[in-house]
Amino acid sequence: MDTNSFDAIVVGTGMSGGWAAKELTEKGLKTLVLDRGRMVRHGEYPTATKDPWDLPYGNRITQETRRRKPIWSRTNYPTPANEHWFVEDAENPYVEEQPFDWLRGWHVGGRSLMWARQSYRFGPLDFGANAKEGVAIPWPVSYEEIAPWYDYAETFAGISGSVEGLPQLPDGKFLPPMDLNCVEIDFQKRLAEKLDRKLIIGRCANLTAPLTHKESPQRGTCQYRNMCIRGCPFGGYFSSVSATLPSAERTGNMTLLPDKIVYELIYDNDKGKATGVRVLDAHTGAQTDYFAKVIFMCASAIGSAFIMMNSVSTRFPNGFGNDSGELGHNIMDHNKPGGSNASVEGYLDVAYTGRRANGFYIPRYRNVGKDKRDYLRGFGYQGRASRAGVGRFNDSALMGAELKKAFTEPGPWNIGMTAFAEILPYHENHARLDRSKKDKYGLPMLVLNAVVRDNERRMEVDMRNDAAEMLEAAGYKDIRVSSDSYNVGNSIHEMGTARMGADPKKSVLNKYNQVHACKNVFVTDGSFMVSSGCQNPSLTYMAFTARAANHAVEELKKGNL
Amino acid sequence: MNSPDESSPEVIQRRALLKRAAWLLGGAVSTPAALAFLQGCSRREETAGTPANLRFLDAAGLALVAAIAEIMIPKTETSGAKDAGVPAFIDSALDALYAKPDQQRFKAGLAEFEAAARASGKPFLDRDAVAQADFVRGSLEAALSADHDPKPFILMTRELALLGYFTSKVGITENMEYVPVPTAFHGCVPLSKMNKPVYWE
Repeated sequence: MDTNSFDAIVVGTGMSGGWAAKELTEKGLKTLVLDRGRMVRHGEYPTATKDPWDLPYGNRITQETRRRKPIWSRTNYPTPANEHWFVEDAENPYVEEQPFDWLRGWHVGGRSLMWARQSYRFGPLDFGANAKEGVAIPWPVSYEEIAPWYDYAETFAGISGSVEGLPQLPDGKFLPPMDLNCVEIDFQKRLAEKLDRKLIIGRCANLTAPLTHKESPQRGTCQYRNMCIRGCPFGGYFSSVSATLPSAERTGNMTLLPDKIVYELIYDNDKGKATGVRVLDAHTGAQTDYFAKVIFMCASAIGSAFIMMNSVSTRFPNGFGNDSGELGHNIMDHNKPGGSNASVEGYLDVAYTGRRANGFYIPRYRNVGKDKRDYLRGFGYQGRASRAGVGRFNDSALMGAELKKAFTEPGPWNIGMTAFAEILPYHENHARLDRSKKDKYGLPMLVLNAVVRDNERRMEVDMRNDAAEMLEAAGYKDIRVSSDSYNVGNSIHEMGTARMGADPKKSVLNKYNQVHACKNVFVTDGSFMVSSGCQNPSLTYMAFTARAANHAVEELKKGNL
Repeated sequence: MNSPDESSPEVIQRRALLKRAAWLLGGAVSTPAALAFLQGCSRREETAGTPANLRFLDAAGLALVAAIAEIMIPKTETSGAKDAGVPAFIDSALDALYAKPDQQRFKAGLAEFEAAARASGKPFLDRDAVAQADFVRGSLEAALSADHDPKPFILMTRELALLGYFTSKVGITENMEYVPVPTAFHGCVPLSKMNKPVYWE
């Protein structure tokens, strides 16, 4: 075996790539893991232990940063504390035929370092919806088939949460739930009494207790600093860097190369297989080919679609595995057009200690059971109650010793929540390449064109009104409905660009994430999603990736790949 | 050309920063982006706020802003705005964080503030403490009772003073219970069990 040949290649090291690397190496495959960005090892989190006074400009981003990172800067995410995890937008442009917030994390670990850690299963309702409603194509996988893989992913990653028995949001293998605070408990009771709706603590990939296995000795429990996005030196939350890549490393079977931009899959017409990937060095531009028996595409829904669209051959003139014409299409995300917030009277003699990296969750109730709306699917809310901080004095005339005395009192309680809604898969929402324009690496320019449409717009009315109605039913005051402008991509849940399905004429992947027309290529990032649910999707990517890796190794053993 | 004075504050600062960078590089970062981050880093000590290294305000403007910030957040049993480095923070934040129209609004508002003080009898800084406080309060109340979006000078100054103060070490640690590593979250705790308000931000 020459030095450029491996059993397996994994493209990308984010949520899915980390899992692919771990599973394939643990099953004995010599695996090359490639990432287009710089190396990050567990503990290499430059801002993780900075105190507020160590961060520049009160942790506000500068005009200079806004010029360098215009996409990232227009969202609600940016601070100097997490700036180093987000790509240089201006240097790496794409064409927005419609506004699209593509928030990229090009480094080892990808966006598993910055994710919000909310971890919810998709349930039978989600896997069955397309078939039942005649939307797009049916999921080729049932909840029952994927459930054991959810168990497996949750157990390794460590997901905290409460067991609720909700059919629309199946329970999992949970570590103990985090606390709701006093006002959230009040809201929970009132919602149940007045509207028969459920509020639960968020299910999140933060360790509320030691893991139930011994595979991640580098990880400790959550320290409640709420600085997860900077990277956690305690390993308190799950990321590729804190969890899956260290496991892969320990097998001795992983070769991890950062700064390698995969731009093409190599297809061998005679073998009818992919034989490897073409790579550019991110610094030198040097071109190298790497070869393997099996290839896992985990470069993100848009990243993997880009590479596949850029991989043309006589067999695949329209992009790799694109016999169906669906590659790059059906982009989904979660619509996040606002919510509501309110002031809460009372509870002035209680507060909370520690900084909880989590909030409450109101699972979907629309179009569940007997509820019927004039739109399909539904939404969930994520929110929190908190005591106001010193920002409440910004627009006030209080000053001098009086103001300083007021600092020593915690502010009144506020409560707020934001809706995350399912977006249907539309063929028209797509990514494509413009070969007449090149990026700085000489690769074709990416074009993104995706919008929310009629079903999403109709749902937005409920998303805002229901939030206000719930806060009102709870007796809270000064209820404000928030209307946020939303660009597709802003929830950082982009998915669907190489959907799976039973029919190769209508889908790119089969039920095991294998390219229908080239079985030794697996795509296990968000590309494979057939519908978006309204749940945060990472846990589902973990489960499908682990299952796909298991299938790949079984098929290799049988000589089928 | 003379070699730089090894004991000058600037050299010492740079050395401290490099030492810090080296520490970070040893255990943590080794990437251009992280270096860029460090270079872009303006720690509070770097911007001591002496007229020599002002970035946005002139010396007179800084004196005025410093006086206003100290009136809003005076030194009591805990540090005031000046002790917390707020004037220099405001100067650097105005330079780095704000777009041109906001910067211009601030500068124009600053001039108007002083012009109004003079028109009503005395330059602001020549007034006694009580008269200064009354003038600032009057300015705040007038701003709050009118449309204040976008924020006028006095409310920009106030917001920056609060931000600078509550991201400074003394501002946070002297007024609040700052626990860098809380280790636990308790959702419902009586305030009677807390000495000071907890730093939550």
